[in-house]
Amino acid sequence: MINVKNVSKHFKNETAIDYNDITFEDGKAYMLLGASGCGKSTLLNMIAGILSPESGSIEINGEDIIRKSQKEKDLFRIKKIGYIFQDFKLIPEMTVADNINILKLEGVDTSSMDEILDKLSILDKKNKKVKHLSGGEKQRVAIARAIVKKPDIILADEPTGNLNFAIGEAVIKELVQISKGKTLIAVTHDERLSKYFDHTIDMNEVTGGRRDV
Amino acid sequence: MFKFALKNMMIKKVKIILIVLSIVISASVAILAYNISQQVDDGLKTTTAKYTMIIGPSGSSTQLAMNTMFFTDKPVGTIPYEVYEDIKNDPDVAVAIPFTMGDSYNSAKIVGTSNEFLNDKTVSDGRMFESSVAFEAVVGYGVAEKYGLKVGDKLVTSHGIGEGGHSHGDSAALNVVGILDKTNTNYDNVIFTPVETVWKTHSHSEDDHSEHEHDHEHGEICAVLVNLSNMGKFTSVQSKYQNADYVNEDGEEISLSAISTSEVMRDILDNVDMSSHIVLILCVIILLMNIFIISIITLLNMYDSKKEIALMRLIGVGMKKINLLYIIQNAIVGFISTVLAFGVSRICLIAMKEYVSSMGIVLNAGAIFSFEWVIMAAVFVISIIPTVICTFSMSRKDGIEE
Repeated sequence: MINVKNVSKHFKNETAIDYNDITFEDGKAYMLLGASGCGKSTLLNMIAGILSPESGSIEINGEDIIRKSQKEKDLFRIKKIGYIFQDFKLIPEMTVADNINILKLEGVDTSSMDEILDKLSILDKKNKKVKHLSGGEKQRVAIARAIVKKPDIILADEPTGNLNFAIGEAVIKELVQISKGKTLIAVTHDERLSKYFDHTIDMNEVTGGRRDV
Repeated sequence: MFKFALKNMMIKKVKIILIVLSIVISASVAILAYNISQQVDDGLKTTTAKYTMIIGPSGSSTQLAMNTMFFTDKPVGTIPYEVYEDIKNDPDVAVAIPFTMGDSYNSAKIVGTSNEFLNDKTVSDGRMFESSVAFEAVVGYGVAEKYGLKVGDKLVTSHGIGEGGHSHGDSAALNVVGILDKTNTNYDNVIFTPVETVWKTHSHSEDDHSEHEHDHEHGEICAVLVNLSNMGKFTSVQSKYQNADYVNEDGEEISLSAISTSEVMRDILDNVDMSSHIVLILCVIILLMNIFIISIITLLNMYDSKKEIALMRLIGVGMKKINLLYIIQNAIVGFISTVLAFGVSRICLIAMKEYVSSMGIVLNAGAIFSFEWVIMAAVFVISIIPTVICTFSMSRKDGIEE
């Protein structure tokens, strides 16, 4: 379970976002909607330990991620969180397999890679360089990298942002399907995809947008 | 980690090749410069110890020493054989060896001498020549290898040093009776024969080529190499022969010069030592340039890798692992560059061997000096240090929130 309490995040441009308390239950799929700049991606980055809020707490299974050291946050992220980025965050010159095997640097077991690539219908692309893949295929590789370590939580920051609706819908369907039993929090602008999630949260209501500091 | 480092390097292979090339070029120049200066220095020092005095015609003492000890340059002139006989019979002289030079086989110089001259040498095949048997010859290892010579071969020689002289013909051909063992000295590049061979060769050829001007006359030699029975007698022996007057076969009066090999060689070595110091300074400058070039390349490389590092950080790879990854990559680059630089320096030594042997310098590609290991270790360390500093400063910043 993820509990976000009294969190406030300040930015370098002298603005801040205050979050109302939110709870994400284990094993459920959440879709975060909202206007640009309302704090959707920031919330994902704080849950992942990439950004630190100035106040409040983010408890994951009773442990406050904010209080952890950077090293502990890194370890937590590599072991417990599968993060899918909007711009994929893949090394284009490397193959699909090598991009996933980067996780081995931190001792992650990637033995289920073939099975996951097969489920995502890109097993035949395993030894292809990422730069030669289509946008949809790249997003599937990003999903595979997030899933392969069997994380408890999957965070997806606009996973369909670079894809047309048909491909985006297919990717979301696969993502929800493959994330069954795990906590999935996905940011998206497209309300039409809400039917695939257990809950939809309007982030405009959670934060009320940015304020000047 | 190692496997991933290799894969990561493969995707940047063009950049890696350019980095390796730049390190190899600068490092091999440093290694090569140091090796050559040391080999020249060692070669001079080894050869110097053999004789205490050289007596020859008056003229350049450096030319006299270099010609008789390193077989370089042309002889200063000729002196009557009578000089050798006088010196040999001198009670203060322990060893007197006649020396003459003026003919060649292709590019190999022919030295007329006695077999005592090769006392400290051994043959890999055949035997030493007999001083009293004209036209017998012992061939240096390098000459035998270059021209594919073996015992029993006949060598048709030419007049003059170097190629282009007129042939002495089959009737004056040398009989190869032995091949010297490899010495890695100037002896490898020379053919040795009794002094009588030179005289008889010219009595043969003069009949046919009387119009040709000769470097030396019948019954004359170029110098006498001397070791004294008592070093305390050096000054008296030197003053006895220095400026002594003799009459050559043409009835002309010639004056002698008796030089101390240690004095002449000290002058030469002083110059060589100075050159060695210059080379050493150059090596240090090259290494400093290496540090600068490699640091810049590494920093640019790390800057290029910033995106890659940020990506790894985002998915949770710790800075410690990232640091290690880049250190391994640069260690591989450093190791490959160092090994290649060493290889290139050896190839250059082999390639230069032929060219510099004509200058009396014998280069041995197998000779490795301890300072070369220092240069290679420095190159290796230099290729890692900037990465360590760079990754260390990056890990201090962490950069994940940037």
